[in-house]
Order: sequence, then C-alpha cells, then structure tokens
Amino acid sequence: MWLRFRRDRTGMMSAVVVIFFFLVAALAPVISWVYGKDPYTLYGQDTPGLLNEYGYPVLPNGGVSSEFWFGIEPGLGRDVFTQLVFGIRTSLLIAAAATLLTVAIGIVMGIVAGYAGGRTDYAIGRLIDITLSFPATLFIIAFMPVVENVFVSPEEETPVWLRAVTLILMLTIFQWAGMARLLRGQVLSLREREFVEAARVTGASPTRIVFKELLPNLWTPILIQATLLLPALVTAEAALSFLGVGMIEPIPDWGRMFLRGTQVYQNDITYLVFPGAALVIFVIAFNLLGDSVRDAFDPKIKR
Amino acid sequence: MRVRERSAVAVLAVGLLMLTGACAEGGQGAPAASGDAPAASAEPYRPPTITVGTADDSRGPAIAPEGVVKGGTVTMIDRDDFAHFDPAQSYVNTATNFGLLIHRGLTGYKRVAKGDYRLVGDLATDPGTPSDGGKTWTFTLKDGVKWQDGSPITSEDVKWTIERSFASFITQGPTYIQQWLTETDHKKAYQGPYDGKRLDAVETPDDKTVVFKFKTPHADANYAFAMGGYAIVPKAKDTKEKYDKEPFSSGPYIIKSHIVDKSIDLERNPNWDAATDPIRGAYPDKWRMEFGQEALQITDRLIADAGPDQTTFTFYANVPPERLQQVLGDASLAPRLLKSPSPYGNYYYFNLDRVKDVKIRQAINHAWPAKQIQQLYGGPAAAALPTTILNENTTAGYEPYDLFGKTTKPEGDIAKAKELLAQSSNPNPTIVYAYNQTPLQEQITVAIKSSLEKAGIKVVAKPLDRKTYYDSIGLVKNDFDLYWGGWGADWPSGSTVLPVIFGPVADGAPNYAHLKDPALTEEMEKITAMTDLDEANAAWMALDKKVQETITPLVVAENRIANTLHGSKVGGAEIDPQFWIVSPNTIFVKP
Repeated sequence: MWLRFRRDRTGMMSAVVVIFFFLVAALAPVISWVYGKDPYTLYGQDTPGLLNEYGYPVLPNGGVSSEFWFGIEPGLGRDVFTQLVFGIRTSLLIAAAATLLTVAIGIVMGIVAGYAGGRTDYAIGRLIDITLSFPATLFIIAFMPVVENVFVSPEEETPVWLRAVTLILMLTIFQWAGMARLLRGQVLSLREREFVEAARVTGASPTRIVFKELLPNLWTPILIQATLLLPALVTAEAALSFLGVGMIEPIPDWGRMFLRGTQVYQNDITYLVFPGAALVIFVIAFNLLGDSVRDAFDPKIKR
Repeated sequence: MRVRERSAVAVLAVGLLMLTGACAEGGQGAPAASGDAPAASAEPYRPPTITVGTADDSRGPAIAPEGVVKGGTVTMIDRDDFAHFDPAQSYVNTATNFGLLIHRGLTGYKRVAKGDYRLVGDLATDPGTPSDGGKTWTFTLKDGVKWQDGSPITSEDVKWTIERSFASFITQGPTYIQQWLTETDHKKAYQGPYDGKRLDAVETPDDKTVVFKFKTPHADANYAFAMGGYAIVPKAKDTKEKYDKEPFSSGPYIIKSHIVDKSIDLERNPNWDAATDPIRGAYPDKWRMEFGQEALQITDRLIADAGPDQTTFTFYANVPPERLQQVLGDASLAPRLLKSPSPYGNYYYFNLDRVKDVKIRQAINHAWPAKQIQQLYGGPAAAALPTTILNENTTAGYEPYDLFGKTTKPEGDIAKAKELLAQSSNPNPTIVYAYNQTPLQEQITVAIKSSLEKAGIKVVAKPLDRKTYYDSIGLVKNDFDLYWGGWGADWPSGSTVLPVIFGPVADGAPNYAHLKDPALTEEMEKITAMTDLDEANAAWMALDKKVQETITPLVVAENRIANTLHGSKVGGAEIDPQFWIVSPNTIFVKP
C-alpha cells in the first residue's frame, strides 16, 4: 500500500504540500518569533508612511517589502504574513478537530445502525435523513448569536475557546450524517459475508465482531472520507467567517481575510491573492491527496 | 432625530478573479500625498446658512437649478425601504426626505442657492407670526392648496394633524410641538381626537387661519413646524394606523405602487400646483425606487454608469471606504460626485453610572485613536475630526474649542492619558465597549482596543446585533461603559441637541450617558427660554464647552463625510447639508 502510494507522484506532491501547511500551522508562534512580527500589532497605524490617507498601503503590490513579506492589511495595517500564518492555524485547528469528531461519531452511528439493524437502524436512518436535509449554513448563522447570549455574561467578551468549540460542534453536527450513512451501507453488506457469519457461528461476541471483523474492513472508506472531509471543513469554516459567524476580530482567520480581500480587491488585489491562493492550493492538494490515498488502497479502480 | 448609521458594509461581492488580476498592478498606494484628495472638489466646504425668509420668499414656484428639464423617469436605489409613510411617524432623515415628495407642512426649507437656505411658508403664506412674546404663533394657509382628490387643505386639517400626533399609535415622530402645547408627558395630557375630545390650544378662527398657543415662549417654533414629522394629514381621509401604509398626498406625487422592501413607483399628483410651492421642483414625471442593494453594489453600478443607471441616483448610499480611493482618484467621476460632511453629532457616550471617575473619562478622551479611526473610514476625505459636541454644520453661532488636543495629536496622547490615569481612582481600569457588529465597526474596535491598552486601560469589546443596537444601549441598566450613538439637530440650534442628549434618563431616551445634573438642567432651561436667538446660540456654545470640560460625559466621535455618486443623466443632485441626504426637490432628468 505504502509502496503504491510512493509511486504516485501527484500523491507525494500533495502530501508534501499538506504536511507543509500543517507544519506552518503548528509552528506559527515560532515563525512569528523568527520573523519578528505578530498578527495583532497595527504596524500601519503606529508607523506613519506605510498607509496612505485612504488607508491603503503606500508601496506597490499591497505594501510588499523586505520587512512585510506579504504586504500590510489595508485599514488596520497589520502584517499579512503573520496574519495568514495564524489564520491558517485557526482554520486548520477548527477543521481538524471537527473532522476527528465527525469521523468518531460517524463510525459509531454507522456501525451501530448497520450491525444492529431493525428499529435501531430505522431510528438512526431517519436521524441521518433529518440532519442531511437541514439547511446547515442558515442554521449556524441563526444559532451562533443564541449561543453567545446564553453562555456569555454581558460583562465579558465572548471567550475565543467558546466560539471555537461552538464552531467545531456545529460543523460536526451537520457533517457526521454523511459518514454514518456511508459506513452503514458498508456494514450492511459486510454483515452478510461468510467470514462474519463464520465468526458469529463460532460464538464470537458482538464486540469482537465489530472490532476485529468489521472495522479493519472499514478503514479504507473512513480514511478516504476523512481526507476529503478536512478540506471541505476548512472551506466551510472560512465560509462561516466570511458570513460573519466564525471567529471575530482580532483572532486572525483565513475566511475573514478572504472576506476583507473581496472588499478591497479593486485597489489592493494583493491582499486577496495571498489568502486566496493559499486556500486554493491547500484545498486542491488535500483533495488530490484524498484521491491518491484511495487509489493506493484500492488499485483496482483505474483512472 | 435619530441617526441611522450609514452602511459601509459590503456583503457577498465575491469575485473569483483573485488569480486573474495577480500582482500585475503596481503602485496601488498611488495618491499618497494629501494634496491629491481635495482635487476632486475644487471649492472648500462651507457650512450652510439658514435664515428665516419672508412672505415673498414663500411664494411658488421653487427656484429651478441650472439647465433644468421637466419630464422623464428618475430611478433611486438605496439599501432600505422607508419604514413609515405617516408623517407623524417619520423622524429618520430617510423617511422625512421621501415625505417631501408626497407630503407638505406649514413651513419648510427653500433652497435659494448652494449652501443658502431659507425657512419659508410651505402651505402657510409666510413662516409664521409670533405674538405674546413667542407664546402664540399664527399661520395663514395659501389659496389653491389641495389634497390629491382636489379638496382644499384647511386649517381644520392642520389642527387635526397636531391632535392625532397625541394618539397612542403614534410612537416614532417628533414631540416638540405636542410638549409645548401641553406638558412634557404630553400623552398623559391629551389622548388624541379619535374619542371626540379636541385640543383647545390649537385654534382655527376660520378655514385659512390656525393659531397655536404654547405654555412657554418658543422663538423657534416655525423651525419645528418644518420637520417632516409635522407634515399634515387630512381629517377626512385619516385611517389611523393604516395611514402609515396608504398616505393621502398633498405633495407633487402619488404612490402608484409599493412593494415592501423592494420598490416604489410614484406618479404625478394632478392637484398639486407648482405655483403654490416654493420648495419642491418636482421635475421628473415619474419616480422609480428600488431597495435591497448594499452601498458597495450601488456604488459599483453608479461608477459603471451603464444604460438605465445613467438616470439613477441614490438618496443615502455612500461610497464605501473600499471604493473611496478609486472614486476620488478618478477625475472623470468628479462631476458626478457629491460631498457633504455630516450635520449630526456622533459620540462615544460614557455610561456615567458605571464610569464614575472624570479623570478616567478624560484619560480616554486623550488616548482616543481619532486619526486611526478616520483612516479606517477612508481617510480625511471620508471623515472629519470634530472637537465639540455641537456640530459646526448645523449650529448657528458655532465656536470651535479643543480640550483634548485632538487637533495637535489626532492619533491620541498616550503619555497624557497615563498621567491622568495615575491621578485617578484606578490607574488600570476596565472599560466594556459595546459596538454595532459590522465588519467596519469590528476593525474600529481593534484600533480603539490597541490604543487604550497602550495607556493601560483594559478594553472588553461586546459586539451587539445591528438591528437591536439602539435598543441595547438605550436600556438605562445596561452593562456597558462606552458606546457610540448619534443625534442630529432637528433645526439649526443647540436647543434640539443638548437638552435632548442630556435630557431625561429613561429606557430608549437619547441621554445615553445617563447624565443627571440639576445645575445643568436649570442652565439649559434658562437658555431655552431666551427670546434672542443669537444670544441663545452663544449660550449653547459656551455650555457645550463647559460640559466637556467639567463632566466629560462623552468622546466626540469622528464626523463622516458623505461621498455619493449619481448617474450621468441626473441633474440637480445635491446633498442637503442639513439632513445629509440627496434632496428630491431639485432632481431632474437630462435628456
């Protein structure tokens, strides 16, 4: 399997890109320390001469210079490079956590539904239907302010962790169903196979059947689903920030940078290019990686 | 009047052209020198002069703008539909501005030349005659003024208009006249004419004459009658609550169709006679209004100026900060660009119930990042930095002063703030700052937080929903220390600003600072009673400074400058300096 993957050049390339992004996210504070800037200081406002009177960078290409590698943000004048690095960190952290949760819930629900069958299957099946038919984005937009009102006293700011946790939970709630439905189908077909029959006849406990017989055969779809889910969640998180219900200022966020970019692109296209390009590269690389993983697991499918 | 925050919010203008444009364009920061910006508007801005006109001034027709052409259809696009058509419910400038097209009042403002306005009689033959030291005001109606069905407008209609504004379903409009006729709690004194009781303080000796008898002298009552909220309503066609949806026109146009939040079509009112109207030009034959577009989209449409958009303008949609550099830098757009600084007072109010130490309030004033906020709005072309509570554009007898060094150190004086904090009760206070959650306000909050924290003040930022923003900060028992609020003078005098924003403390009342000072109230009552308007204006100005010096209940906020585009075939477009909105009176369509 590993050998097959190594021979896939696209797969290896995208894996490198993906690992690079994760490293950037994990090492964001180190990068910021080496680079000597942080994503919160308003450089453009504290130092005259960086922004013109309309609030746009004075230097061409969005103020790109040896000091500010990716330029400075129009208006507030923060450093784009560290903003992006920390923004990637925020988005990846939320997306990765949501992916893990989604996969865990999906596995449990899918296997339970598929293996138990009958009423349990029916109940979980309908729950999946309901979840899948819910307008997820609309619901999240409506729900985020409610969470804030309920959990945050008016004396305090909404803690960053609360927003992050709510976002992760929200994304999970609307994503697990797809995973569960897929696994349920797999389990249904596996359940009737001879080796499961044989295990049952020899008196194996349901726990053993699930963990030793079914699960090893499910890892392929799970892995493939997960690698495709993560970039989808990164874009979903970015979309929510874009719509104003994700992370709020001053926490750097990929999606919000993108939103700001679309507002200023006519005068400062550079500010849109960096987060935009980074997002496109990441999502494409991760999707290609997902494809390659599937090919490696299942060489019979010819593309 | 309550001030709607101008939208600088761009929503969902996603173009996936990020890779096509790439880094090709250089020198994006181009117009860096401060000399470049004013090139667009050759003449410097000068505050308007507003004087009381004569009976001669009150005769129609209105003074036509240069090159006027009658006829055609003009299109107006804006973000929000008008909330009210019933004049008595109209207080916001967008609603009263629309009201000019379908309603008339006793008095109004006539445009004589650019920046020169006169208070004249609209339905009345002159701007009113005071007697009894300003306690009694007499107006005579013009001949030939009619409702849309051709029936004459009588003094009984005027009396009815004032009476119905006491009714319980009228909740939004101005209350000056009602209070002057009865008492401060005017709805307790009189409940409206619908149960048969009439108001004796308004007399109608004959069909053409109406006499108002106030309890105290009010030298500026004729200004109050010019408010859109006192435009008149026909007694015979009054449908109470329903009138808000189906008004009966006395103005030059009739509403032909109205689809809520989408569009309004206006056609001419055949019974409106231009010869009786000194204020409204009413040049286009038809008006088409469309709602639901954000400022950014409207600006992009007007920049492109394509096809039907050439005869399009907007009442209130401003060029957002993202397009300012482009619009101001493009000389070809200059003839289509209107500029006018806000006539409103915008303040960051301290909640005096919570921020009790005046030294802390002054320290925040010193540390305030006025220049940074100005830059976020789009620089000096988009916002001015006033230093006084009263606005220079709407205050007769304006005198500038600068207590907190805003002209010398607009970026904030952190050292001075620290010094004041050291003398205060708490050198490291925590301030809960509530703001209207829009992308721009979020950025401004970052700038405020950054500056105040440098001075050692911890800032807790609370985003509030934009629909209920005023409701949240309007609660007397709110949990915030500092919040933005706007108030506009109802006519050019300090008497419609200071006694209001430092008036009674109640839920929803505009005294957001919760300032309760008997000495100040007494002083304000004294100035209100002055019969010499010049003397009163000077007294208001002196009081303005005294309040900021001794109490410091607020930080004077930046003053937005409207930059509004209009289509190339729209003529006579001008921002009314007093109401800060493009006036419909002079609009015409070029062939």
